[in-house]
Amino acid sequence: MRTTVVVTGLGVISPIGIGVSEFWKAALDGRSGISAITRFDPFPMDGYRSKVAGQIQGFSPEQYLDSVQAERVDRYAQFALVAAKEALADADLQMTKEKPHRVGVIVGAGMGGMVMGEREITQLYQQQRPHRVHPNFIPVITLNSASGIVAMAHGAKGPNFTISTACSSSAHALGQAMQCIREGRADVVITVGADASITPLVFAGFCSLRALSTRYNDHPEKASRPFDRLRDGFVMGEGAGALILESAAHAKKRKARIYAEVAGYAATSEAYHMVIPREDGEEVATTMRLALVDAGTTPAHVDYINAHATSTSIGDAVEAKAIRQLFKSRADKIAVSATKSLVGHTLGAAGAIGGIASVLAIHTGQIHPTANYDEPDPACALRGISRTVQERRVKAALLNAFGFGSNNAAVVLKRYSA
Amino acid sequence: MHDRTVLDKITQALADYLKRDADSIEPSYHLRDDLGLDSMAVIELLYKIEETFNLQIPDQDLAGLTTVGAVAHYVQGRLTPSKQASATKKSSTKGKKKK
Repeated sequence: MRTTVVVTGLGVISPIGIGVSEFWKAALDGRSGISAITRFDPFPMDGYRSKVAGQIQGFSPEQYLDSVQAERVDRYAQFALVAAKEALADADLQMTKEKPHRVGVIVGAGMGGMVMGEREITQLYQQQRPHRVHPNFIPVITLNSASGIVAMAHGAKGPNFTISTACSSSAHALGQAMQCIREGRADVVITVGADASITPLVFAGFCSLRALSTRYNDHPEKASRPFDRLRDGFVMGEGAGALILESAAHAKKRKARIYAEVAGYAATSEAYHMVIPREDGEEVATTMRLALVDAGTTPAHVDYINAHATSTSIGDAVEAKAIRQLFKSRADKIAVSATKSLVGHTLGAAGAIGGIASVLAIHTGQIHPTANYDEPDPACALRGISRTVQERRVKAALLNAFGFGSNNAAVVLKRYSA
Repeated sequence: MHDRTVLDKITQALADYLKRDADSIEPSYHLRDDLGLDSMAVIELLYKIEETFNLQIPDQDLAGLTTVGAVAHYVQGRLTPSKQASATKKSSTKGKKKK
């Protein structure tokens, strides 16, 4: 009998709210967290094609974290710490009662410590004083700095690693955490997705890739519009999501509240192109199908899809095509929502934040709206996409995430029944 | 007619990118269908062209830039402000990213 893996705690820091209750309330309201970029000041925005992002405004780490701890890590790792702390409290998991080597940490991060990274690189090249590079530079930009610091903060001595697969990083983190528990290597995995790279260089890079929305610079709240006919690129976001995964037996033993089951996972590569998806959607459909097989279920049982849906022209159309391919006539009966319409594309955090929205859909029976879905695009019309809250008893949900480097992930979440 | 200098520079940039002889590239060639450029390769080409001609090409203009001649015509238009309107074609599509 395979080990059942469940979610018992949630934590989030996002452009629409810090903390799960604030996030979920804003999500159900369909509120956009996208605003004009202010963070670069005094660096001028004139040369940027896109000028909007999903920023976490007024975040002061000291409010949530020990000040010494907060000072020594980059913004993305601060976010990871904040989200993990909330999730552990939500799960009522007391580390003093746990075997430390049975609690793991798996983090998904796409860009990592870019705030300090950019600052140090700029100073070195401008001032040419190598001896003034900060001693913390290497530990901070090393991509597992968040998984390390989260483990240190909570004394979690089990498996500890970071997955970096661009935009699908934390969907893979969820899948790998599930497998880690299934394989018996841990009882609990603190699973996090985090990124905070709305920085002058990274943002310029995405502008040069012509991946970002440029048409709504004067109306930031309209810029992220997955599946809408007038979408014109994604909007960068930042944040973190954390989910406490544990074996059902462990959760029951400590009488934890169970939100949902993490039932299946698939990881594939399109082996096709660094940034372009295969237009026929076959690889995305295959990934979803394999995740459902892993979960021991079929397309007939899926009620909700938390779509990757970044608001790019091609990406949304390919995903919709893949959904139609796999689910056939049922495609229009499944509720679909795009969390990125609210928070933008939080890169490495996207899978975890989408995962939280999926878990809450199962737990509350409410599916958050897709903001700015004003005019359906025939290229990706699915009847289950809605600008308003959908009430539905969700028994099984699919979380999709696709990343640069031609990689795809899908995770199946189910209503838990003992 | 295209300004030979503009067309030559664009053809040369393409030849450098594709590692082939500039003489083998005709203005009528379609960037994708004849030269095999995918949307990312077109973006890389335009990045070079922006530098060569000191231009910024907005995303909305990308959809019209389908042939070597169209790119030359567009750049010529941008260098001669009065022609800009005819060279710019609005479209709802853009670079094919999935991220």
